[in-house]
Amino acid sequence: MDVDTGNMTQTNLVDKVVVPGDVVLDLTKMENQTIKLGSGLRQDCDYISVMQAGKLRLSKPNKYWVESSQKRYVPRLEDTVLGIVVEHRSDNFLVDIKAPNLAFLPVLAFEGGTRRNIPKFETGTLIYARVVKANGIMNPELSCTDASGKAAEFGQLKNGYMFETSTGLARMLLSSPTCPVLEALGNKISFETAVGLNGRVWVNASSPDDVILVSNAIMRSEFLSGTQQRIMAEKLLERLQKS
Amino acid sequence: MEDRTDGRNANQLRPLGCSRTILNRAHGSARWSQGNTIVLAAVYGPKAGTKKGENPEKASFEVIWKPKTGQIGKQEREYEMILKRTLQSICLVNVHPNTTTSVIVQVVGDDGSLLPCAINASCAALVDAGIPMKHLAVSISCGLMEEGSIILDLTKSEEEKLKAFAYLVFPNSPLSVIDKVHSSKEEPIEHGIITSVSYGAMPVSGYFDCLERGRAASAAISEFLRRSLQKQSSEDASRAAQ
Repeated sequence: MDVDTGNMTQTNLVDKVVVPGDVVLDLTKMENQTIKLGSGLRQDCDYISVMQAGKLRLSKPNKYWVESSQKRYVPRLEDTVLGIVVEHRSDNFLVDIKAPNLAFLPVLAFEGGTRRNIPKFETGTLIYARVVKANGIMNPELSCTDASGKAAEFGQLKNGYMFETSTGLARMLLSSPTCPVLEALGNKISFETAVGLNGRVWVNASSPDDVILVSNAIMRSEFLSGTQQRIMAEKLLERLQKS
Repeated sequence: MEDRTDGRNANQLRPLGCSRTILNRAHGSARWSQGNTIVLAAVYGPKAGTKKGENPEKASFEVIWKPKTGQIGKQEREYEMILKRTLQSICLVNVHPNTTTSVIVQVVGDDGSLLPCAINASCAALVDAGIPMKHLAVSISCGLMEEGSIILDLTKSEEEKLKAFAYLVFPNSPLSVIDKVHSSKEEPIEHGIITSVSYGAMPVSGYFDCLERGRAASAAISEFLRRSLQKQSSEDASRAAQ
């Protein structure tokens, strides 16, 4: 492997599993190029090395990141997350989003929010929000409006059932085209779901049986391939029709 | 005196075993076994806030060591301190300042080389939890026999009989796209040492022999750890198909 220096390509670790400490890029060989680093990579003088174990991915032309699935969440800008209100301060709600720090949700960050109509969220309220400020050091900040100020489905989620998953499963559920398990379930049952990239999923349907069935199907689909997910969903649906 | 009680030769390690993500509620967990020495490590965090006396500009680590039987005493506190210092030096503490990560180590079986086994288990558990790290740590025990020969991976009976032995922790050997030719001016990273705990009196030459043998063996453990991390991600696909 370390014989011929000229033939060493920069990206021979792409799509392979890397562990912390592996050096994936040598910046001295790449001049006048801009590289974007996603999660799991850091710059160490002239090298880019790995911080978290996972699969190294490259999105052409120049974005590298390490894909890994964790039980905790690292906040990134413009992610949509499900948070649980922990406390109500005078000008923010403190919200838990499974991150190293509690997130702040300003009381005015709602559509048409003024000092007079501050929403009354008690401890334990489930909120669907968007991350608007996330650097590693300060508490992340959320907002319940989209970029133009409209509500756009953000806000409190009432009724339904929330369960926790890994961040990898949440990303798979939000991938496009539609995740096979959601498609297979959606053909037979009508339900609504909200997926937070921080590893929380909320499901609501007309009857508790449907909610349980959809939640179980989603939890089981984490490591299955597309066809396996469809088969699993169909088996679960059959059982419900029979009983 | 070349025969060891379990029939291994001087450089042979006991069978290694590693499984990760075994605890449901922990954010990261791993079980590491070397022969009959088995240790279970669980990682919770990072969580907000640091304890009093810890630097709030860095992430802090908290280690709790649970022995198999008996009360917690000085030996456990010593292990906690060694483990904490080792983990602090391999993790990137500037990524999440003002947070605390807790590592709980539970001894399931003790047949010698307990501290190295615990360090390997904690490192695997930290990787499972996604804590940012500079590199992995690989740990091994080396004993010095009377005539000066070194044996690796000691059992409990060997530790009791030997005059002197040491627990050593090395960084793992990284995969790199950098040409080895260029970087041969500096020492490769696996020639460093992270932690060394020695028991008994040994001559300086004996200690350096231990370091060399330990370093050579750590390459094998490092390869095993890498393979088990790679296998886990493809094994998950077949594991949950029930």
